[in-house]
Amino acid sequence: MRRVSRKSLELLSRFRGLVLIAILVVTSVVVLAISEVSVLGFIRGGDSPLGLTLGLDLEGGTHLVYEVVPEDGREPTREDMEGVRNIIDKRVNEFGVSEASVQLLGGGVDSVANKVLVQIPGQTGASITLNFGANTVGAETLEAFFQNELGRPDATVRENENGSLTVQLDDIRAEVLDAAGNVVTENEADSWREAIIAHYPVALQVGYVVPQVDPPVISDDTAIDPVPAEDIETLPTLEEVQAAFASVGRSDADVEQVDGAEGLFSILMYGLDITSTDDDGNPILGEDQRILGALREIGSIQFTSRQGTLTQWIEGGGVQEAKAVIGSTAKLEFRYRECGDALAPSNDIPWPPDGLSPEAWDSERCTNPAYFNETATEIDPADLDDAFPEVSQGTIPRPIVTLVFNDKGADAFFEVTDRVSRQGDRLAIYLDNEELVAPGVSSGGISGGRAIIEGGSFTTERVRTIAIQLRSGALPVELELIQERNVDAVLGKDSLQKSLIAGGVGLALLLLFMIAYYKVPGLVAAIALVAYTIMLLGIFKMLPVTLTLSGAAAVILSLGFAVDANVLIAERTKEELRSGRSLLAAITAGFDRAWPSIRDGNMSTIIVAIVLFWFGDRFSTSVMQGFALTLAIGVLLSMFTAFFASRLLLRLLASTGLGNNPNLFVPVRGQSDTSDSVAGGNS
Amino acid sequence: MDIVGKRRIFLTISIVLAALSVVVLGTSGLKLGIDFTSGSTVTYQFSDSETAAADVTGALNDSGHPEAIVQALGDNQFFIRTDDLGVAGLDDVNIEILKLDQGAYALDTSTVGASVAEDTVQNAITAVIVAAIFVMIYIMYAFRSVPSSYKYAFAAAIALTHDVVIVLGIFTVLGIAINAEVNAIFIVGILTVIGYSVNDTIVIFDRIRENVTLAPGREFRTTVNISINESITRSLGTSITTITVIMAMLLFGGASLRDFLIVLLLGVLVGTYSSMFVAAQVLVLWERRSFLPWRKAAATNS
Repeated sequence: MRRVSRKSLELLSRFRGLVLIAILVVTSVVVLAISEVSVLGFIRGGDSPLGLTLGLDLEGGTHLVYEVVPEDGREPTREDMEGVRNIIDKRVNEFGVSEASVQLLGGGVDSVANKVLVQIPGQTGASITLNFGANTVGAETLEAFFQNELGRPDATVRENENGSLTVQLDDIRAEVLDAAGNVVTENEADSWREAIIAHYPVALQVGYVVPQVDPPVISDDTAIDPVPAEDIETLPTLEEVQAAFASVGRSDADVEQVDGAEGLFSILMYGLDITSTDDDGNPILGEDQRILGALREIGSIQFTSRQGTLTQWIEGGGVQEAKAVIGSTAKLEFRYRECGDALAPSNDIPWPPDGLSPEAWDSERCTNPAYFNETATEIDPADLDDAFPEVSQGTIPRPIVTLVFNDKGADAFFEVTDRVSRQGDRLAIYLDNEELVAPGVSSGGISGGRAIIEGGSFTTERVRTIAIQLRSGALPVELELIQERNVDAVLGKDSLQKSLIAGGVGLALLLLFMIAYYKVPGLVAAIALVAYTIMLLGIFKMLPVTLTLSGAAAVILSLGFAVDANVLIAERTKEELRSGRSLLAAITAGFDRAWPSIRDGNMSTIIVAIVLFWFGDRFSTSVMQGFALTLAIGVLLSMFTAFFASRLLLRLLASTGLGNNPNLFVPVRGQSDTSDSVAGGNS
Repeated sequence: MDIVGKRRIFLTISIVLAALSVVVLGTSGLKLGIDFTSGSTVTYQFSDSETAAADVTGALNDSGHPEAIVQALGDNQFFIRTDDLGVAGLDDVNIEILKLDQGAYALDTSTVGASVAEDTVQNAITAVIVAAIFVMIYIMYAFRSVPSSYKYAFAAAIALTHDVVIVLGIFTVLGIAINAEVNAIFIVGILTVIGYSVNDTIVIFDRIRENVTLAPGREFRTTVNISINESITRSLGTSITTITVIMAMLLFGGASLRDFLIVLLLGVLVGTYSSMFVAAQVLVLWERRSFLPWRKAAATNS
């Protein structure tokens, strides 16, 4: 009785192991089935198959390695590296690169890391951020436009929080060539921009009022030409407004008078070009400004409104721009520029120097490096609290960067600008040793710590980049791009698909071989392997482990190790059966004997994986660490599965009808003489 | 099967193979990829089959890269290897390639700077040696119940060195035959081979450990022979299954892992062989020349 109850207790406790495995497998299946899992605030999953996190070689993306070189030639310190990492992190995030990762590489036990790895998944493409204002065009409409009208099926459009839209594309070709190899379009995006402007209507409204003017004074002085009374007292007519549009070459605009509201007109037109700079970045009068000018001529405008115009167009998001933002040192400097003397320093010297005319001297003395001196100022760039891109007020809006200093910075800024103003000198602002702008100060010192930088060549893209660079801070060191890899998303998808097929075929062959050769233990191994695979994928999703091509190889290789455990148990069980034990006893003894070699063999693999992981980041590639981590998890899990699932399943099957035929537990072709004699010799 | 008795044959085969490998490695050497030498590689996908490798070579010449090596990969893909293209060099190449085919695009580009490549060889060798040392330490610990466990550790180390050298040797010959280059992932392959080789060796050593404990008085070479015979079906079973999986990946997986998988395949084959025919035999050889508890029995019996 006691033995039986002990036995059933033993069975029960062993069932527990199986139940544990079953729960884990079911959990894994659930985790894998739900595309996005959220546990304790961690969100896992996404669009990829089974929601696994894919590496850049399976998803497409860019991998950049920078070497950190401090300017004074010393070794980078730990603080340098942390600073670099934080700044790059910030820049990459501000840049809107999703799921980018920044990590330090090359550190050992005794040495500090000196490389930074930036991985940007799926960002080999480019993006355009645009804004129609007042949400007149939805994301879906624009996506359909890109896909159908512009022939870009790869375009996807998402709406941003501020109402702007971002179009994600595989690429924007810098040059489109015709069959003969001649450049047809300089920049593909320009033609899209024109197409969008031409396609989406702009709704304008303009309201006129009768101006409150003093009645013209009639006097003897005929020099003042009296304004005819009828011209100022009536509101413009529909014809006049139409004529105004025609005068700027837009007779295609559909002008209507709003019913019951005299002097109020609504205009619908396509293709309003509001560009305020020409190709070289010089300010020009946009079409909207010219229209406004024409409308002003025919009456006094009370208000205008505009809806549906493209108010923003930023190309970027591509690898090239990301690289530019990440790699720049962003060293901001405020220098005092002492211009050449306006007047001759002494009467003996012919002035202006070098035979310049007084007019030329007036501009050269502050712009030609030959004539001015620069000295450092008290303004510490670290006192810069914030920097953001803006559009200047005024008739021609221009992109500007607004700087906000803290109190200390504001004081220094006041003192410097005060001196600049009094001496008629300049304040030169440098970014990465490149002059951004060197304005004079006309109206005394600037107090309050707020200033704008306005530059003739500034574009919206440029001010955005400058603002990001200023805000994220200056890199304390130089970055040198030493390694780069871009994988096209198509290639990644292809690799993923091939790996999945290879894995599937490999697993299927493995299962067939196991069942055919090892019979019941083979079946157990097959079940254990399937459970193992499911749990492994579940773990990969939840941790998450980034699955790379070499990682996929590690997974498939770890299947080999997982099967080894089962092979060992099956072989040992066979021997124990030969030596005359009962089936259940043979299974127990077989497992006990197989376990040390399973344990020791796998431990050595784990040691290799640890070494690989440890050394992995010296190779400035994440290939090794990914492989090592995947292999280590795979091997540990295979031991876990063998310990719980394989042994217990064998016992479970042995206690069913299958147990009456012990031959089913012996592998095919296992009758070699040596085995028998050895088994005999051992017992 | 008296495997231990035939150990001279097996050891001779191994020594000859290893010696040949060293000669091949010393003379022609491995074909190093950009991870070791620095430079750039680009894989281009062309839209049709009208472009030939010679056209691509011409385009690269025009873009200022006469040193470029061009290889056709099939499926209208071409693999190009040049000196370090740097930050902007790829654009120049792109323009010339687009003149050949409007629809061509870069599937995979990779650039490794000289400062990275410099350290790679040294790091790779260090990683392999460190892995080997740690594995030896672990074996000494795991086999602490057997007398002179350090012998097991050294025998395993000799076997794994044997495996690595022969795999490198065969790969060198293959490198010439199939244009295989050694890259960072190759080192991963070699370290995996170490892991597999040691795993396999340990399974056999585990049997020896067990049999030594069960029958301490038996002649050591007999114990080793029995242990190998007992393990042989398991070793073959595991090798066959692992090779099945590797073959499935080689046949159905992408081209990018081909060289890595070849290394693994060679590693499994050589590793299985060396566990039985090298590692265990080294133990026997060593035992015969030393003064250990088993030594007396061995001396009288042989």
